[in-house]
Amino acid sequence: MSDDYVIETRALTRRYGAKLALDHLDLAIPRGRIHAIVGANGAGKSTLFRILLGFLPPTSGTARILGRDSQQLRPEDRARVGFVNEEHTLPGWMRVEQVRAMQQHQYPRWNARAYDDVIGHYHVLPQQKVSQLSRGERAGLNLALALAQTPELLVLDEPTLGLDVVAKRAFLESLMYSNAAEQCTVVYCSHQMEEIERVADNLIILERGQLKNMSAPEDFTARVALWVADIPFKGPEPHTVPGLLEVQRLDGLHHYLVLDQDERFADYLRAQGARSIRSMPVSLDRAVNGFLAKNHATPAAA
Amino acid sequence: MYDFFKSELIRFRGWALLAAVVHLLALAFMARVVDLAQQPLLVHRVIGGVYALCGLLLGLYQMGTYRKPSQWLSLLHRPMAPTRVAFALAAAATVLLAVAVALPLLLVALWQHALTPRVVDLRHWLLPLSGALIATAAYLAGAFCSLRGWRWAGAALILLVWLLVSRAYGVGMIAVELIVLAWLAVLLRVAFVADLDAPPRGVFATAAVALPLQVAVQVLVLVVLFGLEMVWIAQGSHPNNTPTPPVGGHNEVEKMDPRDRMVAGLRGSHHPEAPLLREQIRLSDPEGLGVQVPKLPQYQELANFRPMEFDDGERRERWVFSHDDMRLHGYRLADNRAVGVLGIGKEEAPFPAVVLPGDGLPGMEPGDAVLVGGDTLYQYISAEHRVVPRVRVAAGETLMGGSPLGQGIGMLSDRALYFYDGRPLVEGHALMVPRLRVPLPGAMGDLRNLDLVELVDGHLISLAYSARSHADGAAPVQITLRTHDDGRIETVHTRALAYDYPPVYRYRSTWPSPVLRVATEAARNLFAPPLPLDVVRPAAIPTSMVWLAGVLSLLSFFGAVWLTARSQLSTVGRWGWVAVCAVIGLPALASLWLLIPRRESVEPLPLAHPAAA
Repeated sequence: MSDDYVIETRALTRRYGAKLALDHLDLAIPRGRIHAIVGANGAGKSTLFRILLGFLPPTSGTARILGRDSQQLRPEDRARVGFVNEEHTLPGWMRVEQVRAMQQHQYPRWNARAYDDVIGHYHVLPQQKVSQLSRGERAGLNLALALAQTPELLVLDEPTLGLDVVAKRAFLESLMYSNAAEQCTVVYCSHQMEEIERVADNLIILERGQLKNMSAPEDFTARVALWVADIPFKGPEPHTVPGLLEVQRLDGLHHYLVLDQDERFADYLRAQGARSIRSMPVSLDRAVNGFLAKNHATPAAA
Repeated sequence: MYDFFKSELIRFRGWALLAAVVHLLALAFMARVVDLAQQPLLVHRVIGGVYALCGLLLGLYQMGTYRKPSQWLSLLHRPMAPTRVAFALAAAATVLLAVAVALPLLLVALWQHALTPRVVDLRHWLLPLSGALIATAAYLAGAFCSLRGWRWAGAALILLVWLLVSRAYGVGMIAVELIVLAWLAVLLRVAFVADLDAPPRGVFATAAVALPLQVAVQVLVLVVLFGLEMVWIAQGSHPNNTPTPPVGGHNEVEKMDPRDRMVAGLRGSHHPEAPLLREQIRLSDPEGLGVQVPKLPQYQELANFRPMEFDDGERRERWVFSHDDMRLHGYRLADNRAVGVLGIGKEEAPFPAVVLPGDGLPGMEPGDAVLVGGDTLYQYISAEHRVVPRVRVAAGETLMGGSPLGQGIGMLSDRALYFYDGRPLVEGHALMVPRLRVPLPGAMGDLRNLDLVELVDGHLISLAYSARSHADGAAPVQITLRTHDDGRIETVHTRALAYDYPPVYRYRSTWPSPVLRVATEAARNLFAPPLPLDVVRPAAIPTSMVWLAGVLSLLSFFGAVWLTARSQLSTVGRWGWVAVCAVIGLPALASLWLLIPRRESVEPLPLAHPAAA
């Protein structure tokens, strides 16, 4: 285990009854940059964060955050880790200024400028009650509070969930243009691929508690390609198609979304009777969705 | 920490102020109608129950809003130890409950003290503190239950039950409340950790949760048995409601009229005069001697068993006993003006023990009253505005009351029955000398019926000691005594009564865990004064019940060996639990199951096979 990594897990496993939420997960996230974690619902993201922050014990394996065993976190360790969740849980009965003052008292490395920088993106008045803020304003306040803590690691767990387009943009801009965010490692968990495409330097894909990918988003996108082939009749059986993520038949053409296939895939299609073949790149959204959808459970009869 | 404290004050201040105003208005209304300081124990219990409910709801609600995973994470993921967060939340709740509960009580006590002639003693000034302690304890219990759910909830709730069943009084009760509060604070500390499913860490924390949880399980067993008893009653075969009671047992004796009961007391007697005595009983009207002070008042007790006051109808005055100066304080009923203070005799000496008004005695003038306290019965003489001692039993005994017996009167203490001539009672106000003292052959707590008839030469007294024969009291027995005018006392007959209930019913509080039975009794009696009325002479525990308890302990031992083998306990922890289960029995085994989670396996299961990418 090394301090070069903000998050490091070894064979991390967590079982809920008969279900494995994390399955011998080996994950090492290096310091710096913005790391996006994506995965379908139930992929183990929330369980991973809860274990990393010491709110859940692993069934087996180890988890370290900022070099410390996640089950042994001290208050001073927690000061180094910011956390923003999807619900933006803040005391609704308090005024914005009171919340800020409370956080400022608790965090020794409080950065007032970082707070002002972020909160400046929102029309939030200090005397407003938190319960009176819109969801987007609460998200902004939450981000401002988290960044002003000057964390070494900032975990954002689906922070834009439920926000409208304007609020989402405001949130992302306040994150991307914040100096405080540049000085810490950000782990960004989201289902919004356009956000990840915009902010993430590193894409981590979890599926059923296992690590499936860790690379730059563009590298992952490059691994996925869409092949459109004009194949008379039925075409090959899906389970025989190499690297197949998704197949569709549109307007008589077969659309194959495949992983890690080079030009030899064209030869394969020709061998299956394809008369014309076209290959085209896909968006990160399409690539990730195709990747995650591949192993979705289906009814036994389907 | 102060920030959290302030935050919670801000959060609930509106509700606390509203509750305080409603509480104050309710108390003010009641104080207009009655003397709140003299309300009986039941009223205090109802009011205390409302305070506890308020505290419980606050704890459940407050922690209920925080225990949601995302809220919990936001609350605890900060550079502050969870203990400090918990302390801040609890401290805020304590202040809020003090405002809602203690402040209105204090204001009403101040009003009563300053603007009315009613008695306000030290014990009344303690009531706001007691109310706040009860509410805060209930808050801590609510918070604990909210955080840890039903598996752990019994540990906190049973500590609240302790407040209800404790036999402590006054300052002693405050001490019990403080102990309960401290214990619940420890429980909240144990529960208030990041992982809400984590078992208690360390021996102290485990014991703090496990012990009350075991008592809760023991109580739950009793509740289940009570439910079964209801089925028994519904079935119609319960000894209390069979068409005819079981022959020769407590219920049969209890349901007889006094004459039949006395005759039954001589059943099987070989006393030479037994036939004659039976005949005399049939020709006489048996009299009984009741207890006028069924619950002894205690110095500075927080609540009265019943109002410590009586009205002098002739003078239109009310006299109230004050614990502070141990004297009676009077005020006129017509205009609420104070009329003075009364002690004993011309010297107005303080009463040596707290007195309660009792029933009148023959020869008393209108306006007179009887007061009973300690070993003495006093008479308040309205015409002279004076209180004089009239009856005093032997030193160290406690007078329970008395009543006319033929031409004389009888007095009952916790250890003896006294006979007095009636003439001195009506002809003067001097201290009367007993004609005869008859030591009671059993303990007062076991005495159920006392009947007597006057004979030509003395009295025939029948005593049924069966009050706790349905539980673990004395073996039921009916004893017939005969007194003679020359002072002789003889036991005519001792008739053993049958048990109406099988041992498994009578010892239902004991066999699930004899150790916990002893512990809970000790807890109930903590800081409690001696209670002569409750003294019993328990019969020996039947061998069958000892065996039953032993077998259950053995089962508990094997159960603990099996359960702990499937847990994550260390070797020391494991065998510690096994030992505790062997000693305490099934309640300990249940607490082990509730507190210690099973060890999880990481072996892949069919449902959890990860798919290959």
